[in-house]
Amino acid sequence: MVVNILVGLGVALFGFVLQTAMGGINRKIVARVQKRIGPKWYQEFIDIFKLFSKRSVSHGWIFDFGVIMALGGIIATAMFMPVTANIIAFEGYDNFFIFVYLLAVGMLGMAMSASGSGNPLASIGVMRALTTMLAYEVPFMIVVMTIIKLTGGTSSVSEIAAFQQIAGNNWFIIALPLGGIVAIISLMGMLGKKPFETYIAPAEIASGPMVEYGGKQLGMLFVMHEITVFIEVSLFIHLFLGGAATLGVYLLKYFLVYTALNLISSVYARFKIDQVVVFFYKWPLFMAVTQAIIAIYLGWVI
Amino acid sequence: MKSTKFSPMTQEQIDKKWWEIGNYFRRNSLWMLMYCTGCCAIELPPAMTSAYDMERLGMGPMATPRQADVLLVTGYLSLKTLRRLIYTYEQMSEPKYVVGFGSCTINGGIYHDSHAVINKLDQYIPVDVYVAGCMPNTEAVMNGFTDLMGMIKNKTARGWLDYKERNDWYKKNQLDSLGEVLVHDEFHE
Amino acid sequence: MNFASIEMILMITLASGVLAYLIGKLNAKLGSIVTILVSMYVTIAVIYFGYNGELVITTEYLPLVTFKVTNIGLFFASTVTFVFAMVSFFNPFFIDKYKFKALYSMLYIFSLVGILGVFFTDNFMTLFVFFEFTVWSSMFLIPMGKSTKSTTLYFAMSTIGSFALLYAIFLMRSQSGSFDIDQGLAMVSGAKATWTYILLSVAAFAKLGAFPLHLWLPKVLGDAPDPVTAVFSGGLEKLGAFVAVMGLVRLAPVSFNIGAIDMDFARYVIAFIGSITIIIGTLMAIRQDDAKKLLAYSSMSNGGYIIVALTIGNGIAISGALYHVLAHAIASAAAFLAIAAVARKTNTTKMSELGGMIHNMPITYMVYLIAIISMAGIPPMGGFISKWMIFQAVINKGLPIIAIGVFFGSIGSFLYVFRPLAALFLGQQLPEYKHLKEAPFFMVLPMIILSGLIIYTGVLPNYILGKINEIVVDLGATAVTITEYTITGFNGTIHPALISGMFGVGVFVAFLIFITFKKSKKVTLMDTYTAGEFIYTEELLHYSVDFYAPLERLYEKYIHIMEKTYDSIRNKIAEVGHFFKYYFFTNKPEVSVFWIVIIVSLLLWGESLW
Ligand code: SF4
Repeated sequence: MVVNILVGLGVALFGFVLQTAMGGINRKIVARVQKRIGPKWYQEFIDIFKLFSKRSVSHGWIFDFGVIMALGGIIATAMFMPVTANIIAFEGYDNFFIFVYLLAVGMLGMAMSASGSGNPLASIGVMRALTTMLAYEVPFMIVVMTIIKLTGGTSSVSEIAAFQQIAGNNWFIIALPLGGIVAIISLMGMLGKKPFETYIAPAEIASGPMVEYGGKQLGMLFVMHEITVFIEVSLFIHLFLGGAATLGVYLLKYFLVYTALNLISSVYARFKIDQVVVFFYKWPLFMAVTQAIIAIYLGWVI
Repeated sequence: MKSTKFSPMTQEQIDKKWWEIGNYFRRNSLWMLMYCTGCCAIELPPAMTSAYDMERLGMGPMATPRQADVLLVTGYLSLKTLRRLIYTYEQMSEPKYVVGFGSCTINGGIYHDSHAVINKLDQYIPVDVYVAGCMPNTEAVMNGFTDLMGMIKNKTARGWLDYKERNDWYKKNQLDSLGEVLVHDEFHE
Repeated sequence: MNFASIEMILMITLASGVLAYLIGKLNAKLGSIVTILVSMYVTIAVIYFGYNGELVITTEYLPLVTFKVTNIGLFFASTVTFVFAMVSFFNPFFIDKYKFKALYSMLYIFSLVGILGVFFTDNFMTLFVFFEFTVWSSMFLIPMGKSTKSTTLYFAMSTIGSFALLYAIFLMRSQSGSFDIDQGLAMVSGAKATWTYILLSVAAFAKLGAFPLHLWLPKVLGDAPDPVTAVFSGGLEKLGAFVAVMGLVRLAPVSFNIGAIDMDFARYVIAFIGSITIIIGTLMAIRQDDAKKLLAYSSMSNGGYIIVALTIGNGIAISGALYHVLAHAIASAAAFLAIAAVARKTNTTKMSELGGMIHNMPITYMVYLIAIISMAGIPPMGGFISKWMIFQAVINKGLPIIAIGVFFGSIGSFLYVFRPLAALFLGQQLPEYKHLKEAPFFMVLPMIILSGLIIYTGVLPNYILGKINEIVVDLGATAVTITEYTITGFNGTIHPALISGMFGVGVFVAFLIFITFKKSKKVTLMDTYTAGEFIYTEELLHYSVDFYAPLERLYEKYIHIMEKTYDSIRNKIAEVGHFFKYYFFTNKPEVSVFWIVIIVSLLLWGESLW
């Protein structure tokens, strides 16, 4: 048990380090796209440690407690995440729904803390974040439902990945092309990448939920954000890209997915919040349901 | 039993070490809060975009004073804006630095005889680096930033400590010019 | 005299209801304290005797009434009486606000009597009588709150439900020849089975507040006195779930089978309505300003989950539904009680008028937080377990259209439960409430017990799931595989204790990180980023009005459709009434006599046909 917990914490730490490095590298890549030199690849580490070295302000106990709950919830979620087929802390318990809902604990903690700061912009940001969540989550879950049904009924993330590695089975992004597109769009929404970046919107609502944070609280939220991105991208890799047999493959896939999303996002402007909702409930939902019907009832899977 | 070889560090020394390590992070990740009061602000876009690219120094814009490390005061300050500037400065989390742009913040510049504009910014809040010029070159701006980094490294960027130590003096100056820093009038109740 | 006899418990309760009335006449507070004692007694008696298998079902005094202890009846009875007992602690604190204080205590106890009768009988007529008894006694509790209008609506909708139930009972009797519940449900077949199925669903819908019979729920729950609201949502609504189990699970309707999903068409329609209920409940909850109404709509959407799960009707689905009944009963009771505790101090439940209550009532806040985590189905609380099982069932059956509703409701619940949290408890502390204190100990106590139970159901659900498995087996489905700590569904295994444990580990690590670094500087709530503007008015910095305005704007045009439909139906009925009045009830006696003769002869003719 203790070993498992340590492995789990290791996964969380790995996710943090990986995503923070990836974040820095991607800042560099986006900078090159914009003809700039860009920061050092370890810039994100510097940023986070700098935040920890500053003296922050606190708006009362709920402000601090929410941050702790947020980071705690996310660390707990990451502990269940399989990295490769072998690196997994709690085998058999990596249920897809745990990720979706345990992630929500962290989000709830952050939302609570943000609202507890007493700043109206923070509450607006939380409102937008939740609304965006309502938008992207439903199509995504329908696609995942299709996947679970197709694998013959397993919602274990690592087993879904293993299913795709069996000879004769395609990766689900190929097997379910419509669903794959929906998943990519939803992933952009989950990560808060550009067209769906409505709830951060620095120029509009002063970075939304994060408006009152500085110093260590902001640092913890950054750590939380990095781990969240790790979880979401990993989920995508395991569910749609056939998982990873070895660490090298995993790193490669991770890099490709994250970079591709960043490149897409670097050429987009921001949606308004109601546009986000309408967008997701128009095409992605339609595509997801179509995909579910043709895959489950008609059995048309590539 | 006390080790004879290594004399344990005192708490002060440990703090000093940590502070130096912290300084490394702080100077390589300066997040700015841009208080674009005057025309000098026009120098910031080239500094940020591909021409000079301040992100390579680890600098970047931030949305609110709580998150920011360095306050950029870009140009002249009317009395009304000065109030807001002081309020904003006090909301920043420590350690915090201030960069003043242009001759307006140094001595009033071409507005030195205006009744509505203050002349010397460093009487009201502590300024760590001034970038001279009307308006300063972008090279000068970038130079100012690297100077600030050097000062952080040499532990000479002590403006925020100064503001704590000589708070009475700053407050007196502020009150002399403004009457009341945080205004209470019918528009703000 | 046997104290473990259901009849005895019932009669003692009934008598103490009258006693509460008499005592309440002398001293209202004392009368309400009687409600606490009685409901505690009933709860303990039901749970203790029931789960030890000692309940005696023989009747000595009550004529025509027969009792039977079933696993499902026991489950429902213990859940609902427990909620009654917890809520009753609030009665003494609220009794001064009512007009008829003694009557309140009596009716509160009487509804409990009705509930007991419904859950412990094997006879449809007894069931119906007690069902009506509950409806009537609870009906008079409602107008003691804000308005009497909602009572009429409740009565109208309840009547629809009651008539549907009655017709269903008669239909079953016409085939089985007796009022026995098991026989009736077992022997009804053919087209009558489908009709019974539909009628029982209508009865369940009316009580659960499902679409399209949902209109009473928000009105009643919004207007009723605060403790009564908690009882309604946590207890009385569950009568609907009980009827639903009877109808949706134990009956097999025969219309035609949808081949692709291997599901009967009638079942699919009901499931579809369940999913619509979830969506409407969620959307309406999102736009409420009154915290009680918001929670009322959330009850509606949770009722939708129960319906969807029961229509699917395999082992996992049924245990998911039953666990949801329990989890939602406790969670919504706790949430309503938390709101009631706030309302007692502030005299309002409008979120736009409240703010920053966490600084006055931290315990109440924590109770509410735990309750909403469960209602939103987030681990480590009870709601997660039940929603997880319901998801399993929906996915396994492969119902994408219904899944939209199910997933939408689950994500949407994050939205609406967060709104009271942000607007009522968090945000700026409004000056008019600065002096308020935490609720008194005897209000905090039941809330803490409920929170403890919410956490228990989320961390160690397996004892209760074991009990539910017995019900599932009774109902003829396969039991869910559970071990000491894990639950296995169609699509995998979860280990709730492990999840909660890891959550604890995560929070511990985060806490370590938090205390390692420099202490923060305390600032007030008003010292906040305002883009340099000076603002001294708390209300201006409190975001609580129209919280989800951009989202609401997308659908606010369509929300009154149901009300309008009902209004036009009402007008039509009134017209028909005028027509009848004109022709049948004139002043001329010979016309009346003529119609009476015709009707009597028709009736006689019908009798001879029968
Ligand atoms: S220094 Fe010159 S450019 Fe800068 S604000 Fe003053 S007048 Fe404008």
